[in-house]
Amino acid sequence: MIPPANPEIGQQPHPMVPALEVKNLVKHYPGVKALDGVDLVVRQNEVLGLAGENGAGKSTLLKALVGLVRPDSGEIWVRGEKVRLRSVVEAANHGIGMVFQEQSLVPNLTAAENIVLGSEGAGVRGGVYRWETMRKLAQEQLDKIGSDINPLARTDTLSFADRQMVEIAKVLRIEQRSQHPPVIILDEPTSVLESKEIETLFTQVRRLREFASVVFVSHRLDEVLDVCDRVSVLRGGQSVGEVATAGAAPADLHRMMIGSTGSDDHYHDQAYERSAEPLRPMLSIRGLSGKTFRDVDLEVAAGEIVGIVGVHGSGREDVCRALFGAEPTLAGEVTLDGKRLDLSSTRAAVAAGIGYVPAERKIEGMVGPMSVADNMTLTKQQSRCAGPIVMPKRQSSLVDRWIERLSIRTPHRGTQIQRLSGGNQQKVVLARWLVAGDIRLLLLDHPTRGLDIGARSEVYRLMRELADSGVATVLLADSLEEAIGMSDRIVVMSDGKATKHVPCPSGDKPTPLDLVKEMV
Amino acid sequence: MSTPVIAQPAAEPVVVKGGPTPAQRLTSFMPVIALVALLAALTIADPDFLTQKSLTAAIRTSAPLVVLAAGATLVVLCGGIDLSIAALASLSTVFFAMWLPDLGGLTTLAVIAAAAGIGAIQGIAHVVLRIPSFIVTLGGMSIFSAVALVISDAGPIRVVDRDATNWLTLYVAGYIPMAFFVAVVVVAVIALVLKLTPLQSYITATGYSESAARLAGTPVDRVKVGAFTVSGACAGLAAVMLVSRNFSGSPTMADNLLLPAVAAIVVGGTAITGGHGSIWRSLVGALVITLLRVGLPIVGVPSAYEQILYGAIIVAAVALTLDRSKVLTIK
Repeated sequence: MIPPANPEIGQQPHPMVPALEVKNLVKHYPGVKALDGVDLVVRQNEVLGLAGENGAGKSTLLKALVGLVRPDSGEIWVRGEKVRLRSVVEAANHGIGMVFQEQSLVPNLTAAENIVLGSEGAGVRGGVYRWETMRKLAQEQLDKIGSDINPLARTDTLSFADRQMVEIAKVLRIEQRSQHPPVIILDEPTSVLESKEIETLFTQVRRLREFASVVFVSHRLDEVLDVCDRVSVLRGGQSVGEVATAGAAPADLHRMMIGSTGSDDHYHDQAYERSAEPLRPMLSIRGLSGKTFRDVDLEVAAGEIVGIVGVHGSGREDVCRALFGAEPTLAGEVTLDGKRLDLSSTRAAVAAGIGYVPAERKIEGMVGPMSVADNMTLTKQQSRCAGPIVMPKRQSSLVDRWIERLSIRTPHRGTQIQRLSGGNQQKVVLARWLVAGDIRLLLLDHPTRGLDIGARSEVYRLMRELADSGVATVLLADSLEEAIGMSDRIVVMSDGKATKHVPCPSGDKPTPLDLVKEMV
Repeated sequence: MSTPVIAQPAAEPVVVKGGPTPAQRLTSFMPVIALVALLAALTIADPDFLTQKSLTAAIRTSAPLVVLAAGATLVVLCGGIDLSIAALASLSTVFFAMWLPDLGGLTTLAVIAAAAGIGAIQGIAHVVLRIPSFIVTLGGMSIFSAVALVISDAGPIRVVDRDATNWLTLYVAGYIPMAFFVAVVVVAVIALVLKLTPLQSYITATGYSESAARLAGTPVDRVKVGAFTVSGACAGLAAVMLVSRNFSGSPTMADNLLLPAVAAIVVGGTAITGGHGSIWRSLVGALVITLLRVGLPIVGVPSAYEQILYGAIIVAAVALTLDRSKVLTIK
C-alpha cells in the first residue's frame, strides 16, 4: 500500500501528511460494537477535538491509539507509515502518548522523579539515581512547556493544575523515543480543574501545538470549541462528521453527537412553575466551620435549588459532606425544618431526611457488585421491611416502580449496578433517597459528572421534579453553566468562606463571567 | 394459513438477567464438587472409609472447625479478618475449666458470653481507633495466648465434672453427633438472620465498598462490631466443643485450628477481599478441610505435612478465586 505521502520526500514527512490517521477501525466487545469503522485524521500541529456521548467509542478509540486495546480490524497510520500498536511502549516509540483521565502520578515522589519515572535514561547510572542528572532531565521537560514548577517539589504538594503540567511534561518524554514530533492525547484533562486552572491548561495546549499534535477529549463542548482547531464527532462507534471550530456553536456539536436537535431548554428551566411567594425555609446554616471552611451562612428553602460554586479548594465539597455528617465540624449551628441537626454521623443525617449523592459515583455512590434493587433500598431499609424482616415482594414491586418512574434502563432489578451505564447508575443512586418518600434535603455533589448529555438532561428533570415537590437542594454543579441553569440562587465560596449570594431567577440569570469575578 | 386473532407481540428483547455466568455458577459449586471428589478419592484409597462409623467420626471432629470458620466468615465478609479466633478459643477452654466448679451448668453460656465480649472489644478497637482488623486481631491473638498461659499456669486443667459437656457427646437421630448438629444449627441460624434482615445488605455493602456503605447511611461500625462479636462467640462455642472431647482446658488447645479455619473460609469461596461469599460456603469448606485432615493418614501422608497442605490450600484457593480486576494493587 502506498501511503498518501510522497515517498521521495524521505525522512522529513510532507507537512500535509497527517500526524496520525485511523482508517475503518473496528472493535467488538461481547454484545457491544465499541468501534464500528471509525476514521480519524490528526494533522500536524493541530489540536483535534474528539466529541461524543458516553458509549460513543471515545475511550476505546483512545486506548487503541496508545496500544491498550487491540482493534479487530482497521489500520493506524503514523506519519504515512502503517503501524501496529501492541503496548503503551510501542505507541510511545511512534510518538503517541496520553495523559490519562485519572491522574497517574505517584504522590509522594518529586515532580522530577515522576517525569522520568519509567524512562530514566541517563538519570540512572549503575542502578542508582543520579539526582542532578534527573533534575536536569525533568527541567528540560518542564522548559518545553514553559512551566516554572520546581522539579524537586513533592507531587502531592502541587495543585491539580500543576500536576497536570507535570503529566504533560512527563508525556513529552516520548520525544526521546521517536524521531517525529509527538501526538499527545488529553483525555478529559479539565474534569478535575476549576475555571482559572483550565485557562492555564488551554494556554499550554496552544503552546503544544507549536511542536506537536494534540487530541483533546472533553465532555464540555464549549471547551472543545475554545481550544481545538477541528472537532471530530463520534456516535455509536462511528465517525459522524467533522466541524471546524471557527464559528461553530456548542449546539451544533450537540446535535451531531445525539443525532437530532436537542431540546433548547436543556435545564428544563421553563417547564416547571416556581411560585412567587416566599418559600418555607428548610435548611438554615449559621457560622458553620470545619477544617477547610469557616463561618459559612446559608439558607435553603423548601423547593429551592441553591448552587454553591467555587474554585478547587474553596471548601464547598467539605461543606456538603459536613452537612451529611461525613466530615467533622468545629462550630456552627444547622437546623433543618426548624429542628437542630445532629452532624455527628451519616446515620443521623439520613434519619433527619437528608440525602447525599457523592461525586465519586463508582467508589462512594454505589456498591458495584450489588444488584440495582439492593443498591436502591440500601439506605431506606424500612421501605422493604416489615419490622426487622425483609419482604422480597415489597422490595421488588417498589424497585420496579422506581425503575419505571425514572426510566432506568436495566435488564432486570437483579442486575449488578456496575453493568449499567453511568446515567442509569446515577438514577439508581438518586432513587435510593426517594424510595421512602421522606427526603427533605438533597445534597448533590457533581451529580452529572461523567454523564452524557441525554442522561444529564434526565437528571436535571428529576431535580426539578423533586424541587417542585418541596425538596430543598444544594447543588455542586459540574460547570458554571450547569450551576446557573439549575439554581434558583447561587452562593459563591472562596477560601472556605461563603463570600457572595447571587440571585439566579428564571429569566434573569447571571452570566458565567459575573460569577467568575466573585470566585477568584 | 389463518391470521392469528391476537396480534403476536413484537419479539421480546433478550433479557439478560444480572445473574452469574455459567463459569461463575461452576466456580460457586466448586467447594461442593471438591467435597464429593475428595470423598470419592478417599473411598477409592480405602473402601472402608465410606462407612457410617468413620463418617460419623469425621463430622464430629469437624464441629469446632465449622463453628470457628462460620464466625470468622462474617468478619471476612465485612472486608476484615479475625486472626484471634483460635487463640480466643484456647483461652475459652481455660475459662471453661476454671469456671466450671463455681458456675456449673451456666459455664457454657458464661464462656460464650465472655468470648463474645472479647470479640466485641476487638471490634470496637478496630472501628473506633481505626486500626486494621488484621493488626487488632494479631495483637489479640498474642494477648489471649499469653493470658491463657498465665491463668492456667501454662498447663492443661482437667475437667472432672463431665455433666456440663456431656450433652455435646450425644447423638441426634442415632447417627449425627450432637456437636456437629449444633454447628450446623449455628450456621443455619446466622444464615437465616442475615437473609431475613437488612444485615445481608449491610454486610455485603460494607465488604465491597465501605465508603459507599457509609455514605449510604448504613450502620457500618455497628455491623463490624457485630461481626467481631459473633466471631468471638463462635470461638467460645468451639471451645466448649473442644472441652467436651478432651475433658480439659488448655492454653494451646485450639491454636492449631487458625490455619484450617482460614483455609475453610477461602476454600468455601468467600472472597478474602470482602463482600462476596456466604457462611454456608464455609461449612462446606470446613468439611473439605476435615476430610483432608482425616484422609491424609489413610493415603499414607505423615501428619507433619498437614501444615504444608493448609498453607498451599490457602494460597491456591485465593489465587483461584480472587477477582484481580477489582483489586487494583495487590498488597
